[in-house]
Amino acid sequence: MKQDRPAAAPRWLARPYKYIRLDWDPEFSLLRSRTCVKPIQCYSLAALSELNQVFHDVSSNPGEVKHYVMTSDVTGVFNFGGDLSLFVLLIRARDVESLKLYGRRCVDLVWWLETASQRGLHTTVLVQGDTLGGGLECVMPFHKVIFERSAQAGFPEVLFNLFPGMGGWNFTIRKAGFAVANEMILSGRLYTADQLYRRSLVDLVVEDGEGEAAIDQVVRAVHPRLRGTLAALQARRFASPVTYESLLAIVDQWTETAMRLTDRDLRLMERLARAQVRKAGGADEGAVEEIKRMELDTAWGELRSGDTAWGEERTGITEWGGLNH
Amino acid sequence: MLPFFADLVVRTDETRREFETNPVVLDAVARGMSVERYRKLLLELYHVVWHFNPVCAAAASRMPDSHRQIRYFLYDHMQEESGHEEWVMNDLGAVGVTPDVARAYQPSVQMLALNGYNYWAADRRHPCTALGMMYALEVIASVYGGPFTAAIKESLLLEEERGISFISSHATMDAEHMAELRVVLNTVHDDEARDAVTESAIVNFHHFTRVFEAV
Repeated sequence: MKQDRPAAAPRWLARPYKYIRLDWDPEFSLLRSRTCVKPIQCYSLAALSELNQVFHDVSSNPGEVKHYVMTSDVTGVFNFGGDLSLFVLLIRARDVESLKLYGRRCVDLVWWLETASQRGLHTTVLVQGDTLGGGLECVMPFHKVIFERSAQAGFPEVLFNLFPGMGGWNFTIRKAGFAVANEMILSGRLYTADQLYRRSLVDLVVEDGEGEAAIDQVVRAVHPRLRGTLAALQARRFASPVTYESLLAIVDQWTETAMRLTDRDLRLMERLARAQVRKAGGADEGAVEEIKRMELDTAWGELRSGDTAWGEERTGITEWGGLNH
Repeated sequence: MLPFFADLVVRTDETRREFETNPVVLDAVARGMSVERYRKLLLELYHVVWHFNPVCAAAASRMPDSHRQIRYFLYDHMQEESGHEEWVMNDLGAVGVTPDVARAYQPSVQMLALNGYNYWAADRRHPCTALGMMYALEVIASVYGGPFTAAIKESLLLEEERGISFISSHATMDAEHMAELRVVLNTVHDDEARDAVTESAIVNFHHFTRVFEAV
């Protein structure tokens, strides 16, 4: 299996990070990043800066890294997406420029992942917990998306009158088609790993605790045919292109929409932010449970049937018994 | 070049999040607090409000003519904030603290450090530091004030605005203030003033977190 001499760890790996832990596997020239953003596992400005720094270092040293793997160090959470308290701050300050800047930094992140094959990199992500909004948008450009079975994901933005603005539409359409993108983005509902697999948004679902082995399996399978795989993935981008310009146009529209959010919308966003903080504070329930409540509040009638267009049980249904307490 | 407000958000992002990270703050936002601790918090807050305008006045009196727009902004803001200490008094009354007890309360060393820094900074560091104080306090009120008052209301079973009017109204009002503050901050172009504002915001976040911890 091993074809090349083990690669020495790049020097830039020693750069200190607060919210990312980097590991190096010399056998496959594999860079692994584990994120642990405090207090909430989300894309804060500081976390975005650190990730962009890592990506910049990788791009500045072409050929050093051949595989990039991302996981989360936070039990039960992959990523909650955007920094909701920052959104509330900027929207209340009516600061379009800063919100646009934040959105563009997120776009730069997904764009780097989207163009990773051009840089000679194969990318794999393992999701072992909840991933919402921007967290899911960041997952989709990865070449291989692995979910552990208990992981859940969705785009809840519509619940507070927003939409996923950092690649959600582009990547969902490319991977799963218009109908799925419409359903996921316009419903705001959460999906299990299996439901996402059936919609082609996830490549591999493994049992809880088997994610690490799955990463190993993927890397070992890709490595001997890395050049061919990357060439094919580049060709795939021509076949079904996502352009930087369209990502920027969408994020600009996202910013304008965010600026028009009402007090009620912001209160819902705060409610979700508060739930995220609650989970970070050690509570069992967090943002996912809050989204289920919000879904329940806004669409009780529709949800009571429990049916979806795919004839599936709604993700939240099994948890709703808890709401009666 | 970034507009200064955006630059300030980026440069103080970590300190703002350190406020969020603090376990005492997390717990208070998630679960509220006991009535004893809430009384103490209001007693401490009284001193923030009571000294807010004098700090702004000190800053305005030292403001160079090159920053006259900030001096006028401070005048308007002082007008707006005048008398708000009475709102805190009313909330204290609702949770069983008489005005005499409130006025006799000796603020914590953390609160003395917060107010002491703000007077010193306006006097000796740079008069624009008052804007850093405002930024930190208004971020805390407009972003965290809402969830915090909801948690307090739930945990202490308070009805309507009784006992929470100061924090609750500032959560809404400071959103408006924040928009005004952004406009005036974007008129600050010199590095000396920008650095002073940033330092002041960081120090205010830091001391306010310590005040919260000590309650």
